Amino acid sequence: MKRTPAKSPPVRTAAKKPTEADEADEVAVIDEAETNGEAPAAEKAASRPSTKRRATAESMAAGQRDISVSEFFAKNRHLLGFDNPRKALLTTVKEAVDNSLDACEEAGILPEVWVHIEMTGENRYKVGIQDNGPGIVKAQIPNIFGKLLYGSKFHRLRMSRGQQGIGISAAGMYGVLTTGKPVKIVSCIGKKGKSHDLHYFELQIDTRKNKPEILNGKGEGEDIPFGADGDKFLAKHGVEWKAAKDGTVAHNGTSVTIELEAKYQRGRGSVDEYLEQTAIANPHVTLHYKDPDGKEYHYDRAAEQLPPEPKEILPHPYGIELGNLVTMLQATKAPTLSQFLTSSFSRVSSSKASDVCEAAKLSTRANPARIGRHDGELLYQSLQKAKIPPPATDCISPIGVPLLLKGLHHVVPAEFYVADTRPPTVYRGNPFVIETALAYGGSSAAVKISLEALTEMLGETDARTLRQFLINGFNGIGGDAADKILTEAEFGNRTSPSKLKPAEIAKLHAAMRNVNLEEGQTMNVLRYANRVPLQFQPGACAITQSIMGTNWRAYGLSQSRGGLPSGPVTIMVHIASVWVPFTSESKEAVASYPEIQKEIRLGLQAVGRKLAMFVRKRMKVKQEGERRNVFLRYLGEVAGAVNEINGRDKKKLYDMLLKVAKRKTEQADIKLDDQGRVIKRAEEDEYGDNVLIVKQDEPETPPAATEAAAAGLKKTKEKGTGKAGR
Amino acid sequence: MAKKPSSTKSGGAAVSVSAKDKKTLGSLRVLADEVVDCAEKGRAPHLDVPSRSLSNVRFNKSKRFLEMGSGTNRRELFNLSQAKAYMQTLLISSGCKRLIEEGKTTSLRGLYYMLKHSIEGTKEETFDDQADSDTIIEDVEVTLNSLREEMHLYASNRGNLVGPITLVDSGDEIDCTRMGSAGYSIPSICEPDVIQFKKCTAKFILHVEKDTVWRRFAEDKFWLKHNCLVTHGGGQPPRGVRRLLHRLHKELNLPVYCLLDNDPWGYYIYSVLKQGSINLAFESVRMGIPEAKYIGLRSKDFDRCQLSNSVKINLNDQDVKRAKQIAEYPWFKDKKAWQKEIQTMLGNGFKLEVESLISKDISYVTEEYVPARLEDQDWLD
Repeated sequence: MKRTPAKSPPVRTAAKKPTEADEADEVAVIDEAETNGEAPAAEKAASRPSTKRRATAESMAAGQRDISVSEFFAKNRHLLGFDNPRKALLTTVKEAVDNSLDACEEAGILPEVWVHIEMTGENRYKVGIQDNGPGIVKAQIPNIFGKLLYGSKFHRLRMSRGQQGIGISAAGMYGVLTTGKPVKIVSCIGKKGKSHDLHYFELQIDTRKNKPEILNGKGEGEDIPFGADGDKFLAKHGVEWKAAKDGTVAHNGTSVTIELEAKYQRGRGSVDEYLEQTAIANPHVTLHYKDPDGKEYHYDRAAEQLPPEPKEILPHPYGIELGNLVTMLQATKAPTLSQFLTSSFSRVSSSKASDVCEAAKLSTRANPARIGRHDGELLYQSLQKAKIPPPATDCISPIGVPLLLKGLHHVVPAEFYVADTRPPTVYRGNPFVIETALAYGGSSAAVKISLEALTEMLGETDARTLRQFLINGFNGIGGDAADKILTEAEFGNRTSPSKLKPAEIAKLHAAMRNVNLEEGQTMNVLRYANRVPLQFQPGACAITQSIMGTNWRAYGLSQSRGGLPSGPVTIMVHIASVWVPFTSESKEAVASYPEIQKEIRLGLQAVGRKLAMFVRKRMKVKQEGERRNVFLRYLGEVAGAVNEINGRDKKKLYDMLLKVAKRKTEQADIKLDDQGRVIKRAEEDEYGDNVLIVKQDEPETPPAATEAAAAGLKKTKEKGTGKAGR
Repeated sequence: MAKKPSSTKSGGAAVSVSAKDKKTLGSLRVLADEVVDCAEKGRAPHLDVPSRSLSNVRFNKSKRFLEMGSGTNRRELFNLSQAKAYMQTLLISSGCKRLIEEGKTTSLRGLYYMLKHSIEGTKEETFDDQADSDTIIEDVEVTLNSLREEMHLYASNRGNLVGPITLVDSGDEIDCTRMGSAGYSIPSICEPDVIQFKKCTAKFILHVEKDTVWRRFAEDKFWLKHNCLVTHGGGQPPRGVRRLLHRLHKELNLPVYCLLDNDPWGYYIYSVLKQGSINLAFESVRMGIPEAKYIGLRSKDFDRCQLSNSVKINLNDQDVKRAKQIAEYPWFKDKKAWQKEIQTMLGNGFKLEVESLISKDISYVTEEYVPARLEDQDWLD
């Protein structure tokens, strides 16, 4: 009889977990009660074929027990983004960096983050992430890093990168599972307290109990003195700690070191890409990154101001479900229903509250705790029907147009930048803001990659064919472009990238440089949710779907039906919300709520319109240039012929004709616009606000972003060069 | 052009420059000076090339040939679609100037090769093929109002003549009855200073469309039996053939009869011989033979000669279109017989080549068809 305990209950538990973090026991009990009720029917059906019972209710009951969240996620680590070694590395870095940034911003500190990845063995990497944040109180360190679903961000409605409180502890758990090495944490809460000492913990998660296990200092952690001794101690334990620059005061902040089974690989979906994209969306952040090859990247902050602090808000009545309402009614301390409504929800005034009560036929003075299921439902319905203004939007801090432009320009080299921030809107009672930014022009990473970097990339790729390697390894190379490159280099489609001879690599390299990728390039899409780049599952994401659903042909790009547009375009879409609806716990794609899709579409259209203006204008300039070229080509011939006939000086005639040609084409440059007026406004004015145009002939320092993507792999003396220093 | 060896001015003493050449050189110079003039004044140089299209052609009813109107097309250097043509026009002009100064002549193809080179710094050729340069040469002809021969150019020979005539070609006396099986090859320049007629006993000229038919007439000694000249122009007759026919007609009073295919193409050959071509309307005065007659083949010949079905060639869309176009030309429009002829062909839905008469008998065309038409004076005018 009965189902085996392995199947249904754990799933239920898991599903409920996010809402009832620490109450696992209760949930499990409820589940059991429910399953018991259905048991007899199931038993009959199951017992028929065999005469002998395989198990009894009692024997099965012995095997039925709680499943801890940790156990569940240890088995289902793909849900959290640990499906493969490569992604595990990224997820680990990502969770740590996201937490660091959240902490810094909350504390009002301009974030500076150090990321160091080091190879410690075959498929083993040590990841160290340090920030200059407020630090973590000693007592909380074990819980934060050693317990799943523990955190401050889940219960409040406020925009932050982390949401569930799973990430970093899951990363630690993964590390312990795959390498057996504990998570090492150093934290210092800074100048205020007397002690500048650092707390040092070596933790591992007890997956069965979902509890942290402290390994050092007899289960208490260790306090280590600041200074040379402390440094020596940390070095001995394989932890890096960057002290404050002046060296006297302890550098507050937190450092976490995790050793895990991983695979380091450049290209799409890599740590490099994540950090680069993070730098785009967080121009106030300074990032230092040392990759396993020892190359250092520095993304210096482009803005000295922290984004405005998002305020925490109360839930909005539209975003609540009946069950929640009932729970809230039980839990509230408010003496009357009216007070309950005004104090528990945002945008419910006392007059609105009495309207709601009246509609639900309840007294405004009723005791919330005494409202039963039936009345609760009435209340819920009247709340949904009432006209309540949308929630306040100061709980969201969008990046803002100037910083979007700055960030994008900082990292993506292009000619034309445009950004747009939509006004805040609401889905399911959760406010959100869509921001879009677009960079157009410039050449792709593939054109600029060095031969050594290409050789290196070819060596470490796991792509089966060269075509796949090109498409996956480089942003902006789509199928068409890859085909073009392969044709140019005279390789077959199915050539294996790992078996190329040096001469063949050189050929490929030349082809990548020579082929005009502008046409075959597909749009590069950068997706962000609460300033965190989303690197996987583009197809499942509302952002990608909206981009593909937009008609880009109207904006001067070519686009095949139902696909991404092509052209040298990078588009960035940011959704900022108090609660971003992800499709899974690994936070890889945004769910497609109609409200969100609509806003994304409007945002895309806003940048698209500006792009269309630029593309059209550029086309015109290009045509003009071609025109001039055609004339110039023939002028020499004409001058020669005239010289032949009447013996006039050829050079002089040529110069004179040249002058005329220049004047002629210049005139065309300032031709009349549609209304017949002479166009001579400044270029920037023409596009309105939100636009940044980079003149291509201006001397520019080599673009850091492409270098990062192309990963110029010279291991020597790379310190402090090249990175984002423009 | 710059690669030309030293100019003719130094070594030019040996070259005699005729008055005609001087006139041509003068107009070439005007052309070039205008470019310099424009450039000096900072204006965009241009050429006004008389238009060589149907719209700029007028049918002179009293003279009965085509005249070129006064319409011109402006060709500008600083116009995307015309820049190359402008450059080519000047190139051709400079090439002609060189020929005249050096006292040499060359073929159209020769000039094409003379001027063809890639434009400095590009892979683009000044002329892509000979057709390119040929049209430009015609443009220069009309612009300068100079004939091709005046620019020291000639085309390849096409067209032959056989019959009782003795003429002098470049000083050589030629008896056209004794020119072997291939006959006298008509040169591309047939001006009086090249060709003079010495003696002619022929009573008329029979012009046939192409070489194969002409051979039939030559082999059957048609010219001997009927005391006539037989010529062909290899399809659309080149200017040399037309000029010679014109001169024979005008100077020796020989009527011209045409034996052409029964298709729009044949009709138009007749039209060109009779009143000049649209493309070279400026030459009509020297080449048109308004009295030329069309003796066949006729649309009714399929029934009249009882030809077999197998010789029919179906009209294609292009033929039909062209036939309708020709019917609309003003010089066909008023001629009821021609309208009927064209309508009959369209009604038939097929065309006939002169060679189809061979299906009756090898010499049917020379022994029966043409003599019968001439006898009955059955022709279209």
